[in-house]
Amino acid sequence: MIFIFFAGIDLGSTMTKVVILDDTEHICATVVEHTGAEHRKLAYKVMEEALGKAKLSLDDIAYIIATGYGRINVPFADKQLTELTCHARGVNYFFPGACTAVDIGGQDAKGLMIQNGKLLDFVMSDKCAAGTGRFLEVIAAALGITMDDLGALSAASKNRVPISSTCTIFAQQEVVNHLSKGVSVEDIVAGLHDAIASRVVRMVRRLKVEPEVVFTGGVAKNSGMVRALADNLGCPVLVPSEPLLSGAIGAAITGKEMVMKAQAEGRKLETGMRKMGETTFFQQDKV
Amino acid sequence: MNTLSVKGMDTVKELYKNRSQRVIQLKKEGYPIFGYLCLYPPIEMLTALDIVPYRILGDMKEPITKADTYLPTVVCPFLRSVLDLGLKAKYEFLDGIVTAHICDVGSSMSSIWNYAIKTPFSYHLDTPHTTHETALEQAKGQMQSFKKALEKYTGKKITNQSLKKAITLHNQQRMLVRRLYELKKHDPPLVTGVETLMIIKVLQSLPVNEGNTLLTAVIQEIEERAIPPEKKSARLLVWGSIIDSTPLLDMIEGLDANIVIDDTCVGSRAFFQDVPLTPNLIDGLAKHYLADIKCPRTFNARDYYAKSRQWGTELQERFGYLGDYAKKWNINGVVLESVRYCDTHGYEVPGIKDYFSEIGLPTIYLEHDYTEGALAQLRTRMQGFLEIIN
Repeated sequence: MIFIFFAGIDLGSTMTKVVILDDTEHICATVVEHTGAEHRKLAYKVMEEALGKAKLSLDDIAYIIATGYGRINVPFADKQLTELTCHARGVNYFFPGACTAVDIGGQDAKGLMIQNGKLLDFVMSDKCAAGTGRFLEVIAAALGITMDDLGALSAASKNRVPISSTCTIFAQQEVVNHLSKGVSVEDIVAGLHDAIASRVVRMVRRLKVEPEVVFTGGVAKNSGMVRALADNLGCPVLVPSEPLLSGAIGAAITGKEMVMKAQAEGRKLETGMRKMGETTFFQQDKV
Repeated sequence: MNTLSVKGMDTVKELYKNRSQRVIQLKKEGYPIFGYLCLYPPIEMLTALDIVPYRILGDMKEPITKADTYLPTVVCPFLRSVLDLGLKAKYEFLDGIVTAHICDVGSSMSSIWNYAIKTPFSYHLDTPHTTHETALEQAKGQMQSFKKALEKYTGKKITNQSLKKAITLHNQQRMLVRRLYELKKHDPPLVTGVETLMIIKVLQSLPVNEGNTLLTAVIQEIEERAIPPEKKSARLLVWGSIIDSTPLLDMIEGLDANIVIDDTCVGSRAFFQDVPLTPNLIDGLAKHYLADIKCPRTFNARDYYAKSRQWGTELQERFGYLGDYAKKWNINGVVLESVRYCDTHGYEVPGIKDYFSEIGLPTIYLEHDYTEGALAQLRTRMQGFLEIIN
C-alpha cells in the first residue's frame, strides 16, 4: 500500500507549528518552535525537522498548505490559507461536532463559528495585546513567574482581584499596585485570567455561541485560562490534546481534501515551486 | 481658461498623484478656488459663480502632528488629517472653505479651521439630520443664506440661468459617473475598484467641465480596453465611510475579489441621483443634498414619527437601495468599512448587517485607522471572509 502525505505549516506570530499527516489522517510528525525573527526567515528548517522526524522527503508530500500570520513567507508551500479557515478544520478534527471555537494566540484572539469543519463566520481582536498570550507574558514577567506557573497559581487563589482588561500597559501598573498593597500573586493571576477571558468572551458573543466551546491556541495550555473561559462563557470548554496544532492540522487536512477532490475529478493538483531555502520576500503585496 | 490636456487614465493617474496641480494653475489664471468638506455643500452654486469647487480630503501618508493640539486623538482620523493639512498650509491656495454639519467632529473641525487657519471666505451650512418636511424647509433656508453669502463675497449674482447651467453640468457629470459604473456590471468588471476611486477623487479635484471632458475620454478608453481586469471569484460591494487613498481597496483587489460597486463618499454616493431642476432651483438642491445623498449622517427612514415601527420595514427604507445595487451589479459579498472612531458609520453597521443577512448576502466589517500601512491584520480578515464566500 502506498501512503500519501500532507503537511500543514502554521507560522504564527509567536510559535511555528508543522504537522505531517498520512491519508488516514494519522499524525506522522509534529514540530513546534518559537517563531522569532530568524525563524520567520527559516521556516524551511522547521519543515526539514518535521520531514526528518517522519523519515520523509519533500517529494513524498502531496500537498503543503501554509497558514498563520507568516503564511506568505513560506516559499515551499503549495497554497496559503488563513488561519481562520484552517483552525475551523483543525477543531473539527479533534471535536467533529463542535460549532464554536475560541483561539487565543500570541498576538490575537479569534472566535469561530463552524459547521462540519467549514468556517461560517468569525470575529478577531484588533491591534492590541490585551486579551492575548502577549498580555500573560508581560504580566508574568512583571510578577517574576513563568507562563507554566500560571495555571497552578490561579487554582490556588482564594479571593480573586478584579483587573482592568482594557490595556496591557495599564493592567501591568494595576498589578504592581496590587502587589504593593499586599495582594497575593495567586489572587492577581486569577484576576488576570478572568480579565482576558471576559474580554475575549464579550467579543465572541457577537457570534452565536453553541456549547460546548473548543479552546485552542497556545493560551489553551494554561489550565487557569480554561477555567476562566468556561466561567465567563457559562458552559463547558473542551481543549484538544494539542491545542497549538489545530491550525497546522487543519491546513494539512484541507490539503488532503483538495488532493482527494482533484483525484476524484480526474485532475492533478498543481504544487508550487517548493523552494526550500531562506525566505527572501517579506513584502505582502500579493498573497 | 487654458484647457487641460486629456489622455484618459494616464491623466487620471497623474492628477491622482498630485491632485492640486490643476487648481493651483487655475488660481494663477484668476479663478477663485473654494474647498468643500464632505458631500453636503451645494457645489453647483460655486460653479455658477465661476468658482472652482475642490473637495477637501486628508492624506493617509502624512503623519498627524499639528492637529492633536486642537482635536483629541480618539476622533475621526480623516478629519484630524484634514485639519492637520490645513495647519501645515497644504490648503493655503484656497480662497474659501465651505463646510456643513456633517457630524459633530466635522462641525468642530470647521470652527477650529476658522479660528486657526483663516481662509478668506468661510461658510458653514447647518444641514439637518432628518428628511421630514420641517427639515427640508430648514435645508432650503440654509441654501438661501449660503447663496446670499456667496453673492455678497463675490459681488456677483447667482442668476436662475447661471445656476440652472451649473446644475446641468454637474448632472452631466453624475450621468457620466453612472455610465462608468455600468462598465462594472460586466464580469470581470471593465474597471477596477482602485481605478474607480482614483477617477472619482480626480473628478472632485477639477472644475466640472474639465472633469466631464476627462471622464468622457476615460470611459471611451475603458470601453476599448484590450485587456480587462482579471476575473475573480468574489464580486464585492464596498459600503462605508471615507477612503480617499487606494491601499485598502488595493489590498482587497490583490486577493480573489473585484470591487464592482460601492456606496462610499469618494465613490458612487455623490453621483447616483441627479439634482432635480425644480421651478425654484433651490428646492431641488435642498432635496438632493438633504435626502438623496445616502450618508448615514442623515437618518433616512420615512415614517419618522410613527409610533410603532417594524424593523424589517425600516431596514428596507434605509438600505433598500443597497439591495438594488446588489442585484444590478450581481454581487456575492459585502465589505462594510469604517474609519476608526466614526460613530456615524459604526452605528449603522448592525442595521446594514441585518439587512444583508435578510437578503442572504455575507458581510464583513473592517475598521481601519486611516493609514496606508498596517494592513496585514485586515488582509487576514478579508482573506478569511473570501474563503467563506468562495
